[in-house]
Amino acid sequence: MSRKSRNILLIIVAAAALAVGAAQLVFLVRHPYFRKCAAENGISLREARRAWGRPDQDAEQILGLIYEAGRENWTAVAELAARKDLRSDVCTYYYNLANARLGQLPDRLMDYYQPFERGLFLPVGPQSTPFKIACAGDVWFELGYMPLAERDAMLGLLFSPAHTGPRYLRRLAETNLISGDYEAAAKYLRILLNDPHGRKWAEERFPDRWSPAYKMRIAEKRNLLPQFDVVHGMDQTPIILRILLGANYTNKMALDYLLCYDLLTKDLDAFVGDFDPSLTRSQLYEEAMLIFLAAKGGMSAENFAHYHISQQTFDRFNRFVTIYKRDNGSGRNLGDEFGKTYWYYFYYAVLNEKN
Amino acid sequence: MRRIDAILLALLLLLPFACERPYNARPAGPGTDRASLIFPDYQDVTIPYNIAPLNFYYTDPAASRFATTFSAGDVSVTLKGSEVVWKQKAWVKLLAAASGGDITVVSTWQSDGAPVTLQWAIHVSADPIDPYLTYRLIEPGFEVWDDLEIQERHLEDFETRVISDYRHTANKCMNCHIHAQGRGDLSMFYLRGEGGGAILNRNGTLRKLSLHDRNSDMISPTVYGEIHPEGRYGVFSTNVIIPAMHSAAGRRMEVYDTASDLCVADFDENRMLTFPETSREDTFETFPVFSADGHHVYYCTAQARPLPTELAQVRYSLVRIPFDSVTGTLGGPADTLWSAAAHNASACHPKASPDGRWLLFTVADYGTFPINHSECDLCLLDLQTGQAMDLSAVNANKSDTYHSWASTSKWFVFASKRGDGLFGKPYFSHVSADGTVTKPFLLPQRDPHFYDRMLRSFNVPDLGNAPVGFDAAEIGRIWKDVPAESFDRKIPQP
Repeated sequence: MSRKSRNILLIIVAAAALAVGAAQLVFLVRHPYFRKCAAENGISLREARRAWGRPDQDAEQILGLIYEAGRENWTAVAELAARKDLRSDVCTYYYNLANARLGQLPDRLMDYYQPFERGLFLPVGPQSTPFKIACAGDVWFELGYMPLAERDAMLGLLFSPAHTGPRYLRRLAETNLISGDYEAAAKYLRILLNDPHGRKWAEERFPDRWSPAYKMRIAEKRNLLPQFDVVHGMDQTPIILRILLGANYTNKMALDYLLCYDLLTKDLDAFVGDFDPSLTRSQLYEEAMLIFLAAKGGMSAENFAHYHISQQTFDRFNRFVTIYKRDNGSGRNLGDEFGKTYWYYFYYAVLNEKN
Repeated sequence: MRRIDAILLALLLLLPFACERPYNARPAGPGTDRASLIFPDYQDVTIPYNIAPLNFYYTDPAASRFATTFSAGDVSVTLKGSEVVWKQKAWVKLLAAASGGDITVVSTWQSDGAPVTLQWAIHVSADPIDPYLTYRLIEPGFEVWDDLEIQERHLEDFETRVISDYRHTANKCMNCHIHAQGRGDLSMFYLRGEGGGAILNRNGTLRKLSLHDRNSDMISPTVYGEIHPEGRYGVFSTNVIIPAMHSAAGRRMEVYDTASDLCVADFDENRMLTFPETSREDTFETFPVFSADGHHVYYCTAQARPLPTELAQVRYSLVRIPFDSVTGTLGGPADTLWSAAAHNASACHPKASPDGRWLLFTVADYGTFPINHSECDLCLLDLQTGQAMDLSAVNANKSDTYHSWASTSKWFVFASKRGDGLFGKPYFSHVSADGTVTKPFLLPQRDPHFYDRMLRSFNVPDLGNAPVGFDAAEIGRIWKDVPAESFDRKIPQP
């Protein structure tokens, strides 16, 4: 081969390498969360592509939600979820979780797609996708229920492509630190300590190295733990939330999740049983109470005062009922004005099993 | 010049290895899952003379300049460093010199600039252990699973063989493999789901069996059980199993039965046999196993109660019922060997030693799921005297269960969650003729940090005196191509 041919070949090879590198760079710029989630699962980009496929922008948005939720960046989660309504269980699940952590779950609940209770708690069972199982424990951790937070982190580990990953190991270490099981926590801290993505985090979680802020975090989480033991089924969500409230009635997030669960499943009897207006209030709860009181003949000033139902909400409800009756319940003239009310959800939301 | 290039290239290639960080053993010390000075803790354990090298590491991250000298007879070996890793030949030579006696170990290191010396011993029994151990590797799964496999480990070295796995069975669930009286030529396990069945390994022949007579009063397919020493029959429980969770942090998963009965499978006639004495609605019957001579069946039984409300009151007694190995029938009534009421506790997983002398079982506060009960301990009953032996040397403050006997009845293995409380690991203990048991030792691994990295449990470790004669590829073929043999009773046509 002549020198000239060799140079041409070298230029071609270099150009090809440059093109591949540039394509990779564009991919990484367009999909930063894909790369971060791959690292969180302890796998390379190539392994992530094999396991999850090549991501589109919707997948990137979901991965962003998972990543930011793992770091408890709730404002970022809420902003990402609002970017595009993906009408997916996982997207709503994280949107609800972020709103709960920002103290606005009931106030925002009707503002976006709600796939019934699946937007609050992702079901875990043989029919669940590994992806959803991996996300399911985040809500339990934030609610302060460590048995299911730990279970779902273990399942996340089980279904992650390499059966490992700092995201799940961190959660497993922390659930056990909160539970006071340092021997179990040590197992995970040791693995993280030997992982470049987990080393610093693990160092700071050794019990003798906790910062004042971390001590406070652990104390706050421990304050939510159930103090008594009840054996319950894996999917008895309302019972678990009531156990949390029995342990600490000031757990407002658990209370709002329970009330929203009742409302999304359209179980108004359960809602009224669980609702204590002295502990939480919201326009959503006012709207739900009006349906209940109207049905049970309880539209009295005394009840309105007890449940903090404003004159304005009552007037809107009357207008909703008037249009509803005028149109024989068709709802065609209600969507624009009342589409973001619980009344509209209660009468017109239908579970789409395909989603 | 070329030589320098080659050296540089070689150095460049070696660079990643030179830069590799040593495995960090922290957190270690009191209050952690690495509380002992060395891990695995082999100080003063008793081992068989045919065991693989006991590799270990020192857990103190602040100490340095470790040296460990092992001496037995005229053999003396010194290994330097915080990780003690043996060469197989040197280890075998040391064991041969120590058989029936002790290996004296002297550990020295520097701590805070001062030299420290510690002398300890490893006792080497002249009783060999069955050289094969099967176990299922499983991540704590809560009703779901992924990438399950059953392995067979050669205990004299580190060779491991996969005998059934997810790769050959489309990721199907599989339950644990059990030998009959430690025999490699008589064993079974379950493949669950579509294409599954009980895989019976009998005298070199593999069969796939559907151990469920759908025309009988069986409440479920068979679950727990054992093969009769003569191989024709198996005794099993049928269970309605309910998974649940504890709300108290750290208690984790609970599993209980809302109904359970016993049945016998006749492998020659392909029939299931049920009996009124062990199919009562007012009692639970589970975990049946045969006595060493095959003339009795041991099992656990409790009064049925409303569950889960009264779960903490469900306590199982250990009983024995006659078995006729000619007709395959269970007689009655049952004798109580260990009373739940008298001990205010619950018995699980009885296993009779092949020589007929001992019955090993686990005791928990209540229920049938000792694996998640940290209070669960092993109990050894002398079947000649009815006396319970002292197992304080064996039990730990975490769950100790899922045990099995060596064919010689001199050793048993069990899964213990000691340490982290999460992952079961196989420990071995020696039993002498007077019932004295020794401090158990953890299954040795080539890499002393193996258990630090391990995120799967060794489920139901089971000893075998010979390798099982099949592998994962053969199981895959049977799963795919061989229909399960029916055990349905034939109903006469009108």
